Amino acid sequence: MTPVAAVRARGLVKRFETTCAVDAVDLVVEPGEVRGLLGPNGAGKTTLLRLLFGLLTPDAGEVELLGHPLGPPDAVHLNGVGGFVEAPAFYPYLSGRANLELLAALDRGTEDRGRVDEALARVGLSQRGADRVSGYSTGMRQRLGIAAALLRAPALLLLDEPTSGLDPAGVRDVGALLRRLAFEGVAVLVSSHLIGEIEGMCDSFTVLRHGRVVWSGSAARLREAAPGSAFRLLTSDDRRALELASGHGGVSITRSPAGELRLAARTGSLDAFVLELGQAGVAIRRLELLVSPLESMFFALTGEVEVEDPVALAELADEVLAGT
Amino acid sequence: MAGAPARPVGGVRAAYRTERRKLASQLAPRLLALVCLLGPFAFAGVLKVQSGSPADTLYGVWVHSSGFALSLVVLSFSGAWGLPLMAGVLAGDLFAAEDRHGTWKTVLTRSCTRRHLFAGKLLAVTAFALGLLTLLALSSVAAGVLLVGVHPLVSLSGTLMSSGRSLVLVAVAWLACAPPMLAFVSLAVLLSVTTRNGIVGVLGPAVVDLAMQLLALVGSGVWLHSLLVASAFDAWHPLFVSAPFFGPLVVGELVSLIWIAVCLGASWLHLRRRDFAGATTSRRPGWVLPVRVAVASAALIAVLALAGNWGPKGITATRLKASITPTFNNLTLLQQQQLGREVPAGAKLNVLPSCSRRGSAPAGPGDWACTLTVFIPQPGAVPFQQTPVTYDVTVQSNGCWKAQSPPSFVGQQTMRDADGRQVVNPLFVMYGCLNTL
Repeated sequence: MTPVAAVRARGLVKRFETTCAVDAVDLVVEPGEVRGLLGPNGAGKTTLLRLLFGLLTPDAGEVELLGHPLGPPDAVHLNGVGGFVEAPAFYPYLSGRANLELLAALDRGTEDRGRVDEALARVGLSQRGADRVSGYSTGMRQRLGIAAALLRAPALLLLDEPTSGLDPAGVRDVGALLRRLAFEGVAVLVSSHLIGEIEGMCDSFTVLRHGRVVWSGSAARLREAAPGSAFRLLTSDDRRALELASGHGGVSITRSPAGELRLAARTGSLDAFVLELGQAGVAIRRLELLVSPLESMFFALTGEVEVEDPVALAELADEVLAGT
Repeated sequence: MAGAPARPVGGVRAAYRTERRKLASQLAPRLLALVCLLGPFAFAGVLKVQSGSPADTLYGVWVHSSGFALSLVVLSFSGAWGLPLMAGVLAGDLFAAEDRHGTWKTVLTRSCTRRHLFAGKLLAVTAFALGLLTLLALSSVAAGVLLVGVHPLVSLSGTLMSSGRSLVLVAVAWLACAPPMLAFVSLAVLLSVTTRNGIVGVLGPAVVDLAMQLLALVGSGVWLHSLLVASAFDAWHPLFVSAPFFGPLVVGELVSLIWIAVCLGASWLHLRRRDFAGATTSRRPGWVLPVRVAVASAALIAVLALAGNWGPKGITATRLKASITPTFNNLTLLQQQQLGREVPAGAKLNVLPSCSRRGSAPAGPGDWACTLTVFIPQPGAVPFQQTPVTYDVTVQSNGCWKAQSPPSFVGQQTMRDADGRQVVNPLFVMYGCLNTL
């Protein structure tokens, strides 16, 4: 028997006046899968999630969640579905715990304090649960949003930029949590405009651009199709390294404005170049990944830069560094 | 894999409990409860240390004489301003707050449908509104009974009612104000849902109430005045005449129910298909819509003011004379009893009334002058001594009136009874009601 898809959307369309925010989108998320929903700002990720949550009525298309059609807007109920869209929002005059108790009551008709305590503990908010939400930082609200989603033991999690506002440890914790939930059979759809933040936690990706799906598939396929990577390179003889790169088809080295070397390599070309450097007596003192294959693929798909050109990829690396 | 159950788990009860807890956590409902609890005691305390009384308000002159009168004065004040404002504070931000906090997406992504949330919010705010009304009623009766006493109440026909009957009628009067209060709650809900602006939702009902009170002063027709839901707060007045009539009460309650149905129906139609598109694309709370609503409302009020003469004239000289004469008769006899004079059972004065309206039109609410000429038998060639008493009568559109005469005719506001106690002079200010329907 074929398992029921957690999310099955067909031909979804949503227009706002003259803008088509979501344009004929098909999407499937299977149980146990963590799917990344990628795209730059304005690509339609949040609108798509709002359509899945039933907060918006599609102009065309249909949605099934956990095997059930979503239904008309006044009858949408999301049993088994957790998550949030945009920044999680709560009642500021209530404590974090009271907010979760209210949401638990909406789900089950009881406040279920045991589950609330458990959810607060899972996101590290046990100590601050009694504080009013008005005093929470952005990261704490994000954690509370995740706690609210976990509160109902969901079979499907829809998370809109869940790592936004979290510190690196928080991002790592969220990734680990989502992987664990997926292992337990929960389907997860997680959106982000920063592939680097969710790269490690996703099995598959759907990339949106101008409201349309421009790529959809597994993480492995995305890596295979990636145009290349970019690195910061430090060698014992930079001049010699530059000479060798000029004769190597798959790589390109440029100097950054600060004088550092930037190495851009097409997928599969890096190993050969590193061996060549060694044979030429050039020691590699540092090789630091700046733009991963998935990131380069993301930028290529979303058209932010032309990354088929290794020089452009190196320049992109500089932009990434400038951003950091 | 376990699919989601086809039916929602939360339901209306869950939504109601959630909304009830939210309301109970907010400052405004708590303050309202405090005001409802302590306000009547504070009012009674102020009256206790003052010699004056709020004579302009129905039963105001009797607040020092009967605890039930104090409750009715509180009810009159509340009906005019307090209850519409309370409705706005409770319900005006009920839906708009979800927009302000951005929490629609939080509550709509749980197991409750919009229908459940809408019903739950309405049930919660209705429970709070009725709870506060009950608290205010009980507190006002308690304040009156404890600080003034359970003395019999003078009816709007000038007769004395027993304490038991007074208490029952006071309870019915408060109960009769529940539907119009819920009508204002529904109006606040409508404003909250459609404008998404808490300020409009909170203040809107009070502004509409003010507009209705002004409209009640315009024109002499019955129909428009009957359709004003603010008038329903006064629909209990005819219960306090010796031969009560129920037309205004029935009309007031029906009008309230129609307001509730229309406001809530429009609110639900607006909410059920709404797109919750977020901050980037949704209509943010602003002043464009409120300004449009204000302009449209002003135009509507102007049209309604022109419709003030719609229907038959409810207040005429004949009806006013028929109402004021027995009241004057009964209060005069009551005054004589209080002064220790023997009044035979069924005694009746010979009174010839004459009423005219100040201004051009001879009918309608406003200022009237009534001269009540009392014919007192006397021995001699002239069989009767004629004693004219002139009253300035203010008649409201609902038919209830207040008549006041200069002390040179009827004496001061208070007088000494046969036991030497300072009591209210029953003839100083008279209240009554005539049937306008």
